[in-house]
Amino acid sequence: MCLGIPMEVIALDGYRARCSAQGVEREVSLFMLPDEPVSIGDFVLVHVGYAIQKMTPQQARSSWELFDAALAAEGADDYA
Amino acid sequence: MATTAQQWLNRLHRLALPRRFKVMNVCGGHERTIAMSGLRKALPANVELVPGPGCPICICPEEIVYQAIQLALQEKVILVAFGDMLRVPVNVRKGEVRSLEQARAAGAEIVPIASPLDAVRIARDNANRRVVFFAAGFETTIAPVAAMIAEGIPENLSLLLAGRRTWPAVAMLLGSETPGFDALVAPGHVSTVMGPEEWAFVPETHGIPAAVGGFTAESLIAALYSVLRQLVEKRCFLDNCYPEVVRPGGNSVAQRQLATTMDVVDADWRGIGMIPASGYALRQDFARHDATRLYPIHDEAMRKHAGQMPPGCDCARVVLGSIYPDQCVLYGRACTPRTPIGPCMVSDEGACRIWWSNGVRTPRETAPAPAYS
Repeated sequence: MCLGIPMEVIALDGYRARCSAQGVEREVSLFMLPDEPVSIGDFVLVHVGYAIQKMTPQQARSSWELFDAALAAEGADDYA
Repeated sequence: MATTAQQWLNRLHRLALPRRFKVMNVCGGHERTIAMSGLRKALPANVELVPGPGCPICICPEEIVYQAIQLALQEKVILVAFGDMLRVPVNVRKGEVRSLEQARAAGAEIVPIASPLDAVRIARDNANRRVVFFAAGFETTIAPVAAMIAEGIPENLSLLLAGRRTWPAVAMLLGSETPGFDALVAPGHVSTVMGPEEWAFVPETHGIPAAVGGFTAESLIAALYSVLRQLVEKRCFLDNCYPEVVRPGGNSVAQRQLATTMDVVDADWRGIGMIPASGYALRQDFARHDATRLYPIHDEAMRKHAGQMPPGCDCARVVLGSIYPDQCVLYGRACTPRTPIGPCMVSDEGACRIWWSNGVRTPRETAPAPAYS
């Protein structure tokens, strides 16, 4: 649950944003972001559906590499 | 150009470590990066990385999990909870419902969710029903819960809160006679929300080096390098090795939302006991959304092992960093992700589950084989 996921803002409606990461889209609340403007194309660090901080595209990319590896490890987790 | 993980590692190997050092992390995300990258094997032999209290599901009081099960079974509410929580076992007699997952199989309406936004949506979609959001988590999860409340929630939605703060658990360990570590890698996203300053007491009060770390190998090894260098040079301070998202003061909006919706209270940690100022409770203003006030306690006074870890389970010592996951006698034998006995094997942030997912499948050989074998 502490896994913050970097996502790209693709649509905005007040405090609600549509965000995307690696082809997956979800609704994200911007309600707890500090008072700085968010625009389409910005990256945010998302935690349980809430953006907790803006981040740079570079930072988002290096985090995604980590998640890809984490998902691969989970996939190998055969519960056996 | 940014320093790569390998470059940080090379620098770390050049440090003249005078003795064995133990570095604790208190975040499931950190432990996952360490386990996944095989970092333990890449470090000098006299550096140990020990996972500490980094899993809020693992220390969620057993009585609250039991109460959540009873609310779903007896009060006929729709109970929503983070998916991690569904398989956490409580201590009941054989044949009784021992997890939310089993309660769901028995007909209770229990919905796993991934976000407080889901809880609000489910409450709105079921306006004539009572919905209880069982919310366990550290600051990174409870701050979004606070944001949800601050934004306004449906009247039929209440909260069964098991929110915990990370730093008081570390303060408790440091205040004990055997803290069990020489340096701390402080959690990156907790610091993003609460501000890195929360961890200043570690070097300032206890003389223990600390560095906030991120979740990539680069950021985490940078934090390790920082604390080991502090140990070698015998000067300790709080370093921030995740400045991209950890800013001085943290997220002030999130902190304000936490302060307006919740009080900081003494709180129980499963298998560990009461830790001062380590929990969150809903403020009086939100009493009508507080499931602990709205519903009777369904626990039986005589229930055996109430509040404890399951019998034989060493999760409490794993959480405190006193032992490694594979030093529990149940690890990989009776306790696996398919048949978990303790919460550390259930949650994605539990050290046991993380080690299992990354290939550690058998308990550690701690004693020499018997002579006759």
